[in-house]
Formats: sequence, C-alpha cells, structure tokens
Amino acid sequence: MGLIVSPSAEQEVYARWLDWGTRIGLAAVVATFLAYALGVAEPLVPPERLPELWSLPVERYVALTGAPTGWGWLGLIGKGEPLCLLGIALMSSVTLVCYLRLVVALVRSGSRLSAGIAIAQVVVLLAATSSLLAGGH
Amino acid sequence: MTRVLILILGWCAAGPAVAADGGALAWWIWPIALFAVTFALGVVAVLGGVGGGVLFVPIVGGFFPFHIDFVRGAGLLLALSGALSAAPALMRGGFASLRLAMPLALVGSVTSIIGALVGLALPTRVLEAALGLTILAIAAIMATGSKSGGPEVAAPDAMSTALGMHGAYHDPATGRDVEWRVRRTPQAMVAFAGIGMLAGMFGLGAGWANVPVLNLLMGAPLKLSVGTSGLVLSIVDTSAAWVYINRGAVLPMLVAPSIVGVMLGARIGVRLLRITPAAHVRRIVVAVLLISGGRALLKGLGIWV
Repeated sequence: MGLIVSPSAEQEVYARWLDWGTRIGLAAVVATFLAYALGVAEPLVPPERLPELWSLPVERYVALTGAPTGWGWLGLIGKGEPLCLLGIALMSSVTLVCYLRLVVALVRSGSRLSAGIAIAQVVVLLAATSSLLAGGH
Repeated sequence: MTRVLILILGWCAAGPAVAADGGALAWWIWPIALFAVTFALGVVAVLGGVGGGVLFVPIVGGFFPFHIDFVRGAGLLLALSGALSAAPALMRGGFASLRLAMPLALVGSVTSIIGALVGLALPTRVLEAALGLTILAIAAIMATGSKSGGPEVAAPDAMSTALGMHGAYHDPATGRDVEWRVRRTPQAMVAFAGIGMLAGMFGLGAGWANVPVLNLLMGAPLKLSVGTSGLVLSIVDTSAAWVYINRGAVLPMLVAPSIVGVMLGARIGVRLLRITPAAHVRRIVVAVLLISGGRALLKGLGIWV
C-alpha cells in the first residue's frame, strides 16, 4: 500500500477556514485603518498629539488619553482607533474560530485525544481574549 | 536595499532628538517612515529566511520614538499576520502538520500569555536590556546554527505515536514522497514552553527557535519544520497578542502601516529570491540583528538612550 500524502480531512477543513478568515481579517485591518487615516471616523486622540504620547509606557498613554482597555473599545466603535481595533480583533480571532471548527471535526471523527487538546487550546485562547488577564509596569 | 534601510534607520535615530529640539517633524512622517522600513524588512526577511517580527521589534524599538510596549504589540500582530497568510497553502501542501503543531502550540500559548504579562510588568529598562541580550543570542544562533534536510528518526517516541504526530508529503523539488515521524516530544514541549515565553515577553515571531527544535531536536524534515513553525506561530502569537490588545498596547498607527509594509516587501522579496545569494543576505540579517540588539542593550543599560 502506497503512502497517503494528502492532508487529513480535519487539516483540510482548518486550512479552508483559516484561508477565508485571514482574508476577511486582513481586509478588515486595512479598511478600518483607511477609515481612521482618511478621517472618515473621528480619532479618539488627535494624530498631531501622537508624537508626544507614543513614547510613553502603555499605562501612562491610557491614563492620559482615556484609550480603552479590555473590550472597552466596542463601546467607542464610532471613533477611529476603536474601529481599527475591530479589524485587528477580527484578524486575531481567526485562530480561535478555526479551532472551534476543528473541535467539531475531531469529535465527529472520533479522535478523542486530539479533540481534548483542541478543546484545551480553545480554553487558553478564550482566557487570552478575555480582559481578565492584566499586568503592568 | 540595505543602504536604503541604513539611511532610513539613521534618520529615525536622529528623529526623536530633532523633535525634542523643537524640530517640526509632522506626526504623519513616522507612519510613512515605518512603512518604508517595514517594506525593506519584508524584503530582507524573505531573502534571509527569517520572520519579520524578529527584525521588527529590535529595529523599530531601537530607532523609532515609539515605546517598547507598543512596538511589541505591533511586532506580535505583524508576525501573526504573516503566519496566518502563509499557513493555509502550507497545510494544503502537507508542508505544515496540524497534528504536529497542536500539542506544541498549546504549551507555547500558555507560556506566551505568561510571557506577555511578565513583559508588561517589567520595568522598561530591564525589558530593553533583556531584549538586547535575546536578539544578540538569536544573531549568534543564526550565525552558527546548522540544519538537517531530512534527519532519520529510527523510532518515534510513545507520546508522538499516541498523538498521531506522523505523516507524509510530496516534495515537488525532488519529485519524491517524504514520510516523516518525530522523536523527543516531551523535550520539545519544554523547549516550546520557553519559546512561547520569549515570544510573548518580547513580541517576537519565533521561527528562529521553532525550526531548530522541530528539525534538529524532533527530527522532522526541514521543509515540514519551516511550515509547521509558521502554523505554531499563528496560534502562539494569537494568545499573546490578545494580552497586548486588552492592555491597550496596540496603536493602529503602528500596526496597519507595518503589516502592509512587510507584506508588500515580502512579495518583492520572493521575486528577488532567485537572483540574490542567500548566504550574503543571511550575513546582512545577522549584522542587522547585532546592531539592533546592541542598540536595545545599550538603551536598556542607559548608555545610549
């Protein structure tokens, strides 16, 4: 019997979801940034103030500008920078979405050990996306 | 390309001083300069066989006026965007294995979150000095490291067998089907725990470390190691990136121009790949890492602020 060189079914599914998710995520990053840079969405911090602020540690920057932390940007989605964070968050959520689809594929195929690893990865990614994790200088 | 990069970096290094002296540097010059530098980095990264993230953080952190917190957040997203873009094609071609990546990425994800939290808690000077030392170590690894095209794995370990970490792919370069299996999985998981920690703490893509562990320690073929490294990176960097997003350490004015710059540069780099001597470019990459790592170390020690 010859070698099976084609990727597994779950790898094909993951690759398909990753491909489309990444396209959507990157398009969102560019589109939301253009809306911000071209002034379609009003900036939270006037761009001309940025050079005096972006050399500060993040805690000072947040304190001085009132920039959102955690998921606070969702409440300011009409402003330029929070709108950009929507695009960035979409791109950064692609892996989580792919893993959720992967769990379904692995459970259906009866790969219990791999499904367990995938579920553990989903838990870790959800913990990362939650704003519960905090730290600071 | 290298001369252009050095000229831009020289200008950037002088920029903050000019601004402090009351010079009229408009805000929009910085994202344009960032785009130009990341475009050059994209070209050099492809030609030098490294990820853009490992060059981005020390160079932009050392020569631009942005705080290292924002540079690390942007570095992670830069590495993430590149890894996400490349992974689907690599997976379909069998050059990246999901079964091989999953356990390693799980360990790396946990430690990358811890690394990001530690990195955001450390004093800036300590972090910059540690980043400088890490980059200098990476330069040393790149200058002296070896690779094995197709190492022989006499017997896979029990853990890799249980996790289904084996397979085969067709290599169009040789026209042959390549069967692979791996060894030393527990040791590799420990190594990926350390790599994840560094990736999260310094915002670096970690291909420079992933590939040697997969190839030399686990015995995976080099092409599979490179492809799977990108897949692992896309999962590990996602975890760490969210910590930076949640802390407010992601500035769109840095992230978007950098991602677009590196991606466009990488496209040019791929075209130049056929006509550029790889060994020469690799020496340039090592030199750039030495300079930017030295700059970060001196900045951290307060010698060249």
